[in-house]
Amino acid sequence: MAVTSITEQSGRTVIALSGEIDMEEAPTVRRTLLDCLKQKRDILVDLSQVTYIDSSGIASLIEGLQTARKQKNDLALVSVSQRARRVLELARLDKVFTLHDDLATALAVTKS
Amino acid sequence: MSSPASQQPAAAPVGPAGTWTDPLEFAASLSRSFAETQDINATVREALGQIVKLLQVEAGAIFLLDELQDNLICRASAGPVDVTGLSVPHGSGIVGRAVAEDKIQVVEHAYQDQAFFAEADRKTGFVTRSILCAPMSVGHNVIGAVEVLNKQNGKPFNAEDQNLLRVMAASSALAISNARMADRLVAQERLQREVELASDIQRHLLPTEDDESSPICGLLRPIQEVSGDFYDHFELPDGTIAFAIGDVSGKGLNASLLMAKTASLFRCLGKTVRDPARLMSILNREICETVSHGMFVTMISGLYDPATGHLRFANAGHLPPLLRRPNQRSIEMPADSPPLGILPASKYDTEEVDLDGAQFVLCTDGVTEFRFGEEELGTEGLDMLIDTARGKPIAQRLNAVVEELQRAGWRSRDDLTLLAIDDAMAARRWEQHAESERASPESSDFLFGLSFPADPKRLRLIRPAIRAAAEACGFDQNETEDVLLAAGEAIENIIVHAYENRRGEIALAVHRMPDGLMLRIRDFAPNVDPAKIQPRKLEDVRPGGLGTHFIRAVMDDASFIPLPDGEGNLLELVKRKR
Repeated sequence: MAVTSITEQSGRTVIALSGEIDMEEAPTVRRTLLDCLKQKRDILVDLSQVTYIDSSGIASLIEGLQTARKQKNDLALVSVSQRARRVLELARLDKVFTLHDDLATALAVTKS
Repeated sequence: MSSPASQQPAAAPVGPAGTWTDPLEFAASLSRSFAETQDINATVREALGQIVKLLQVEAGAIFLLDELQDNLICRASAGPVDVTGLSVPHGSGIVGRAVAEDKIQVVEHAYQDQAFFAEADRKTGFVTRSILCAPMSVGHNVIGAVEVLNKQNGKPFNAEDQNLLRVMAASSALAISNARMADRLVAQERLQREVELASDIQRHLLPTEDDESSPICGLLRPIQEVSGDFYDHFELPDGTIAFAIGDVSGKGLNASLLMAKTASLFRCLGKTVRDPARLMSILNREICETVSHGMFVTMISGLYDPATGHLRFANAGHLPPLLRRPNQRSIEMPADSPPLGILPASKYDTEEVDLDGAQFVLCTDGVTEFRFGEEELGTEGLDMLIDTARGKPIAQRLNAVVEELQRAGWRSRDDLTLLAIDDAMAARRWEQHAESERASPESSDFLFGLSFPADPKRLRLIRPAIRAAAEACGFDQNETEDVLLAAGEAIENIIVHAYENRRGEIALAVHRMPDGLMLRIRDFAPNVDPAKIQPRKLEDVRPGGLGTHFIRAVMDDASFIPLPDGEGNLLELVKRKR
C-alpha cells in the first residue's frame, strides 16, 4: 500500500507513504491528502520508504500543497528518500515544497 | 403518279406492277438501318415511311405494346397530324383489336365501327374514312400493330393492300424484335463489363502473393467472375501478421459486395484491434447493422507472431482450422461461435496455440466439398494433398493442391479459398535474421519484448524487468532508476494520451547497445488526425507535461520513429553510459 500510516502528532497530520507511487497508486495518495486536509491541520508527508515516484505521484503532492495553501495550511515533506529527492529535483520542485530531514526536525518547527 | 418502284432504294420490296418482291429484304434493310443508328424509334419511323409510301395512304401509325403489355403506344406516325406518343389501352380501338385478336382489321367506314376511337379525329381535325390495321408479330408474340388510314385514291382497301400490309407488318416486327434483342445484348455486355470490373476490384482486395519466403500465403479461385470468399493477411509494424479467411453465404454480386465490405472492415480494424475475439465482435455488430436478405459471413481472423510462433485466432462459424505438426496426426481446432451478421450480441472467444514449427491451414467449404463423383474431398483429403509438394514453400504447396484436384477431375460448385501459415518457414527466416544481427557489431542486442494492456496496474509488473535490463547493461542504481522513471512516464503517456484511458495494447522492446540501453515503446492507438502520423516532437505528446520533462531530463535520446502504416506510435528511448 502506498499509504502506510496516518497519525496525529503535535497538532499535525503525519502521512507516511511507501513503495512505488505511480499512476496506479497516485489516486489513493491524492484522496488521502485531500481527506486529511478537511481537518484544517498542517500536513507532513513522510517519504522515507518511497522507492519509486513519478509525475503522477508528484502531481498528487502538488495538488495537496495547493489545497493546503488555499486554506492557510502547510504541506511539508519529511525524510525524503534519495529516489523521491531526485525526482523532485528533476521537477525543480525541491524549492517549492518545504523539505525536512526527519520528523523530529519537522515537528520542532514552530507553526508560522 | 410514277411507279412506286422508281422511288424506292435497292431494297424495295415492290415491283413495277405494285406487287412486293422480297419482304425479307425489307426486314433486312430495316435491320441494317438499326445497326447503323442503334435507334429503335428511327427504325420504326423508317418502316412506317416505306409502308405509307407503298400503300399510298393519307396517314399511318405504328403502335407498340409497352413493357407491361397494358397499353399500345404510338411510336411513329405519318400524315397531316403527328400522333406519336398517343396511348391506347390494350384491346380497345381498331389497333387494340388487331393486337388482341392477332388478326388484320379492314374497316371500310370507320364511323360505323363501334370500336373506332373518334376522339383522335376530333382533336386533330383529320377525318378517318377507312382503316387497314395489321398486327405486328414474331412467331406467336404480338409486339404491336401498324395502321394505315384512307387510300389516297379514295377507294377501299383491297385484298392486295391487305397482303402487302400483312407482310410489311411481319417484316417490321422482325426488324424491331431484332433491334430490341441487340439492345438487350448491349445492356448485357455493359453489365458484363461491370461484373468484370467488380471482379478486378475484388482481385485487388486480395494480398499480392509475391514473397515466396513469407510464412503465410493464400489462394482464391472463384467459379464465377465475382466471389463470396475472401482472405487477407498483412504484416503489422511490430512484425506480427494479421490474417483472415471468410465465406459469405450465397453467391453472385450480393455475396461479393458483402465480401468486399467484410474484407475492407478487416483491413481497417485489423491494424488496431489486437484481440481477435474483440475484432470479431466489432465486425459482427457492423455487419448486423447493414446486412440484409438473411446473408451472413463465416470467418476466422487472427494474429500470428513469426518471431515466437504464437498464434491467436477467433472463429465465427467457419470450418475449423487444421493444425499440422511434423510427424503427428493433424488435428482440427473446432469452435462453436456463430457466423457474423446474425445476432448483434454474439460472443466470440480468442483461441491460442503455439505453432512451434507446425502448419496452420484454413480453407472454405468449396475446398472440403470438392467432389469426385459421390466422394467429397473432406479435411482428411486436404490434409493429404498439402503434402503433394512436401518441403516446398507454402505458396507452391497450395498451388499443388489445386492442380492435383483439377488433374484428377474433381469438380467444385463453390469458390475455393485456402490460407496457410508455415511456422517452420518463419523459424528459418528468424534464424537468418538473428545471424545477420549478430554479424553486425554496431547493431543492438535484443534483450526481451513484452506486450501488455494499457493499464496503470501493469506498471509495477514491468518495472522489475526493465530494472534488471538496465543493471545488465551496466548502469548504476541511480541511472537504473532514471531509466525506470522514463519508461514509466512514456507508458503513462500512452495510457492517458494515446488510448485516453480506454483499452489498448502496449508493446515494449528492450535492446542492449554497446554503449547503453534502448527501449522501444509502441502503441496501437488509431491516429485520428493524419498530421499526427508524421514523426512528432516529444513535447507535442503532452505539452509542458512533467512526465515528458522527466523523460528528456534523464534519457540521452527520445524520439518517435515513423511507422509505415501510420497506426499508433513508436517511441525510442536511449540511455548511454557515462
